[in-house]
Amino acid sequence: MTADTTPTTPVPLTGGPQPSDGGSASAPADPRRAARAARRAQYRSAGGARWGLTLLGVVLLAGGVLTVLLVNGVFGQNRPHRPLLDPMISEFLVAHGTVARVSAIVAGTLLLVLGLLWAVRGLRPEPRPDLVLDAGSGSEIRIDSAAAADALAEGASALPGVTRARARMVGRASAPAVRATVWVEEDLADTGVAEICRRLDSEVLPEVRDSLGYPDLPVAVRLELDSGPRDRGPRVS
Amino acid sequence: MRVLLRVLAPLVSLAVAGIGALLVIEVVAAWVSPGSGSGLLVPWRDWRSTAENILWTAQPVLWVAVAAIVAGVLLLVIGLLARRHDVALDSPSAGLTVATAPRVLARLVGSRVRALDPITAASVTASSGSVVVRARGRGEAGALREEARAAAAGVLDALPLTRRPRLTVRATAEVPGSSRSSQGVH
Repeated sequence: MTADTTPTTPVPLTGGPQPSDGGSASAPADPRRAARAARRAQYRSAGGARWGLTLLGVVLLAGGVLTVLLVNGVFGQNRPHRPLLDPMISEFLVAHGTVARVSAIVAGTLLLVLGLLWAVRGLRPEPRPDLVLDAGSGSEIRIDSAAAADALAEGASALPGVTRARARMVGRASAPAVRATVWVEEDLADTGVAEICRRLDSEVLPEVRDSLGYPDLPVAVRLELDSGPRDRGPRVS
Repeated sequence: MRVLLRVLAPLVSLAVAGIGALLVIEVVAAWVSPGSGSGLLVPWRDWRSTAENILWTAQPVLWVAVAAIVAGVLLLVIGLLARRHDVALDSPSAGLTVATAPRVLARLVGSRVRALDPITAASVTASSGSVVVRARGRGEAGALREEARAAAAGVLDALPLTRRPRLTVRATAEVPGSSRSSQGVH
């Protein structure tokens, strides 16, 4: 067995900032991880909220269905003629008082913590991390999140067929990503969209990544269609 | 659906946290000073005596159960359907994703179909899985459908779509009489 001597996976580059000093700068560390990071930057995840609501829905549905079944005598013909809080259950709780109280307190604390975490996660504005470059000798260069995102937006809006572009930084400070919205002309040629995607990848992104010092900065682009020439009149502000 | 999720999720999460807090407070209060009053914040001792006297066969129990089923189904539907419906486009490299809205796909297909000479009106419904074109125009329905299909398929072929949606085209031929009468109204 040579498992001890040969590493099975290549050592991935750290997610942190790296100066673009050539070498590995052109290729991302792990294409699959880069793709996942870019996918995650597409929009703000509402997975937690959806899971919470779905779970609560299942609990309510199950409780309701079980109650209806119980009332209809599925769990025994005598069961519906007993009180909601069966004396049997009360006696059991009284007999195991401490255990019942402690488990109730634990359950309550769990609900409180989970509920608060869920609320904070949903209500907190999405962070816009600044880019931090390690300049060596203990100093660091901090690029404002708006400046970093604008660099990409400007590059994208200069492409032919693109009317305007907007970008913002998303993600954690240790793993930032860019989310950009690119508006294209409505009367773009059939192959225009593919051409814009290609030029974004081959011209705009390498330049931006290089200038920001993040060779594998994940980028999620959303294409929108700009309104037709009729709506593009002079704007009154 | 997405808006409903954004509104409902914080409310539900705060309600869950509130129920947890009440549970802890009441249990601790009852443990520290047993038998004082009907409860600290909620009259749970009254609730208990009610629950000890009501039978499962009571009508309100069934209503509450039905209400729970309805609320549960609603939450399930919101939780399961409130996902993004973006149309993914091929990205040239791994660190870049490109996506667009189904609306954009519908507009691109629609403008190309409407540009055809015999087509007088067209409506397009698009998602990442299917594109449905309903076209109206002068001439024979079969020919119209083929023309509209060719135009729509041309757009779908040219776009770098990750997954090509199924294309359905329905065409109706405009009856000259009805078209003239509709023009007369204007």
